[in-house]
Parts: sequence; C-alpha cells; structure tokens
Amino acid sequence: MKDNRFIERSLMGAVSFLKESVFADEHAGQKGFLQARDPRVKVAAILLLVLSVLFSRQIAFIGGIYLVSLVLAGCSSINLAFFLGRTWLFVPLFAIFIVVPSAFSVFTPGEQLAVIKIGVFSFQVTKQGIAGASIFFSRVLVSVSLCVLLSLTTRHYALLKVLRIFRVPQVFVMTLGMCYRYIFLFIGIIQDTYTAIKSRCGYGLSSMKGQKIVAWSIAALWQRSYRMQNQVYDAMLSRGYSGEVYILDDLRAGIKDILFLAGATVIFLLIIWRTYFSN
Amino acid sequence: MANIFFELKQASYSYLGKFPALRAVDLTIEQGSKVAVIGANGTGKSTLLSMLDALIFPDQGSVKAFGRTLDEKASNDADFSRIFRSRVGLVFQNPDTQLFCSTVKEDIIFGPLQLRVRNSEVAKRLEKVATELKLADLLERSPHQLSIGEKKKVAIASVLAIQPEVLLLDEPTAGLDPQTTRDIIDILIAENRSGTTLVTATHDLHIVEEISDTVHVFGLEKRIIHSAPPEKVLSDQQFLQAHNLVHIHRHRHKDVDASHAHQHDVRHHH
Repeated sequence: MKDNRFIERSLMGAVSFLKESVFADEHAGQKGFLQARDPRVKVAAILLLVLSVLFSRQIAFIGGIYLVSLVLAGCSSINLAFFLGRTWLFVPLFAIFIVVPSAFSVFTPGEQLAVIKIGVFSFQVTKQGIAGASIFFSRVLVSVSLCVLLSLTTRHYALLKVLRIFRVPQVFVMTLGMCYRYIFLFIGIIQDTYTAIKSRCGYGLSSMKGQKIVAWSIAALWQRSYRMQNQVYDAMLSRGYSGEVYILDDLRAGIKDILFLAGATVIFLLIIWRTYFSN
Repeated sequence: MANIFFELKQASYSYLGKFPALRAVDLTIEQGSKVAVIGANGTGKSTLLSMLDALIFPDQGSVKAFGRTLDEKASNDADFSRIFRSRVGLVFQNPDTQLFCSTVKEDIIFGPLQLRVRNSEVAKRLEKVATELKLADLLERSPHQLSIGEKKKVAIASVLAIQPEVLLLDEPTAGLDPQTTRDIIDILIAENRSGTTLVTATHDLHIVEEISDTVHVFGLEKRIIHSAPPEKVLSDQQFLQAHNLVHIHRHRHKDVDASHAHQHDVRHHH
C-alpha cells in the first residue's frame, strides 16, 4: 500500500498558511512606526527603497538600506529574530539555484579567483562572478526583507485598498477581498471534511481510494462554493448592492507619513545620483 | 388602524418551478409588531423571509410591502429598491454568507454605503452599533477570526447599521451559547421597543415568548397551519409534538421512569 499522506500534508500546509496569516495580522495590529503609516505612503516608500536597491551597484549602499529595514522592523515592534528568520530562510534557497552558478566563469568570465574540481571537470570562480553574485544576492535579500516588512506591518485589506491609487476599479478590489475572506472559510471546510474522513476511515487508505476521496471532496466543495456564491449575492442585494460598490475612503496621510516618504525619496535620489551622475 | 407593512395573499413559491417551498400563505405584518415563524426543518421559514426581503418573488399570489407589490418590476425600480433596502434588513441564518467583507468594520458599513448614506452619518452609525453590540474591539478583525457568536452579532450589527424599520431574522440564536443567545434577544427586544418591526424564523421555542406577540406555525405541507399568541402555541404540547417542534424524552425522575415532551433547548434538572 502506497503512503497516502499527501492529502494530509497538503491540508496541513493550507492550514498552517491560515495560521501564519492570522499571525501576520497580529503583527499588523500592533502599535509601531510602520503600522501607524498610511498604507499608500508605506507602499510608495517601500517601492522607492526597493528601486534604490535595484539601481544601486555598491554593496555598501545596499547594506545601508538593509540596515534601514532592520531599524524600521525594530521601530515597528517586530521581533528581530522572527524577521531575520523569515527572510534568511527563504533567500539562501534562492541563492543556491540562481546566484551560485553565476559566480563561475561559465556564466561570468573574468579574473580567476579559485578553481573547483569535481572529477574530471574543473570550474573557475571569477572575481567578477563573485562580485556580481554578491550584488545580486544582497539585492534579493534586501528587497525580500522590505517586502516582508510591508506585509507584516500592513493588514491585507489595507494593501488591497492601496490598489485603488493605481485606479483599479472598486468592484475588483472588493472581489479580491472577498476571495481572500472565503479562501479561509473553504480551508476550514476542507479541514473539517478531512477530519471526518479520517475519523471514519483512518489513515489506511489505498492511493486509489485517496484520489477518489480527493476528487469527491473537490466536487463537494465546488457545489458548496457555488451555493454560497448565490447566498452571498443575496446578502449583498439585501444590504443595498445595486451593481456598483461603494467603499469608505478612510485613508489619511499625516506629517509623519510625508516625512517617511520624503526620507525614502531622498535615499532613492541619492543612489540614482551616485550611481549614474557622480564621477 | 395599525399600519400594515407586509401583506401576503395566497403567496406560493417553488424552487426551479418544481420543488414547492411555500404554499398559499396569507400573512399580514403590522408596523412595530413582533412576529415569530416556527416550524420543523424544510417547512418554508427561510423562503418566507427571502420573499419578505424581495430576494425571491411568488410564483402565485402576491406580496405587498409598504403598499407596493413586490415583483421583478419593483425590484428593477432603483428608487423603490433603495428605499425598500433602507427600510427592511435581513439577518441570514449563516453569518458566513452575510459577512463577505475583509473586516468587521467594512461589513458593518457596507449597507449604509451602498444606500448612499453620508460618510459622517456612516461613521456615527458604526460607532453606535459597535458600542451597543460591544464590537468595538473587533472592528479591525477579519470575519474568519471570529467565533460563531461574534459572527452572529456582527451580522446583526451589519443590518442594524442600515437602521431598518423591519428586521427579518433567520435563526438568530441557532447554535449559540446561553449568554450570547441572551445578548441577542436583548438587542432584538431593545430594537422592537424603539419601534423596529421584528420577524423571526426560529427553532428555539424558549426565545419565542420574548421575541413575538404573534406566532405563525409552518407545517410540512409548507403553509401556515396555526397562528396564535406565543403563550397559546407554546402551551399546546400535543400540537407542538405533532408538528415536530418538541420531542418525547425518556429519563428517570428519581426512582420513577418517566417520559414527556420537551424542547431540547430548555435547561432542566432531573
């Protein structure tokens, strides 16, 4: 009998995503510098910092922005170990597959720094390759850190609201919010269904039987979601929805928001000037 | 003479045109009244509420609300529809259906915003219902993070924010703990005292006396089989038992083996 734990693993993955999301919302609900910022300003400022990282060709500047991100995390009541864990666990995986090969002469020719021999093959590590890989790695690390910082300190619905500054229609923003809302509901239903199956059948299911149960669950969930879609539409109609959605625009930027954005803009302009116009 | 809000005459409805859900219902609901609709599962209670909320229209017979016939034509009349939606609110049985926004706050203000209430007034209503229903700490939470009792309260708040004259409630206390049930009943009684008309579909017979002055009992044939004040309906145990509203329960009273009918929701000691 084949190991049939793939259902459980997938479900537990989805459930842990749910828990993480709830946990992330807890960070966003805490009092801190970034949590208090207007989400539009925050997104614009983080975007400017990410662009600064991407345009910069000097590790020192990128390191400086990383330091800024750590200071921002500290000022936003985010546990530094948790923050570093979130970014450093992901980035090395990325680095192994993308960055490490670029250090070799095959991809980046240049001045030889070291030679690695594997059997009859020898690979040259180049100075230019190492420099390029370092820049690339640090850019990824800092960009990911900034994005993690943004997602940790901003509630998901506030991020969705920001889409409206890009003139995304309100109905689209609301639909996205509803999708997010109901994903959690359906994850709960899937988990309950799986628990019910497990309580009756245990783990001892054949792979074929497991696949049948998954197919059946997908069909049942589809039917439920279809029925719920009609009910949600009725609930919207009942509260006055008439084809056009109206949302309260309650985002307000203050002096501190403007100063924060100004700081990010100064960093961006400084890096652009140093990289492209000085010397 | 009392002001009649709803008037149903021989109203019938069937799903997909072949599954009867409501048969020849005659019903009048007056302004400020408290009406309970009770009946076993599948007797048409929820269908009746959907009809009163103009979400479905009768196949046969008619439904009038505030003197105007509810039909597709009325539903497509934007002015009437907006006025109707601001006067009638429906609390759905499943709060997950009703709470579709990203946060509790957005759910509460959804109705007033769609009905084009001014932003300053929306803010006032939000503060009022959040205070009255003790939801202030939950406003920034997502509905999926709430308990079932909290969801029910938010669902009621989302309708109360519309400040409707008629509150339709589908099983408002189903599956709730005693304290939350008490809180919800208190909210409903307070609303009725301030002039709101209540129409409640429920299985919980122990709340019926408090939330109604008229009870309509639906039978399995999907029509009203009895209408009377709550004390009369609730005291007729044979009738309740015959229509699957109470059940026979066998247990011991000290040394005596006894059996009698009762509701399961009532807490009693043997």
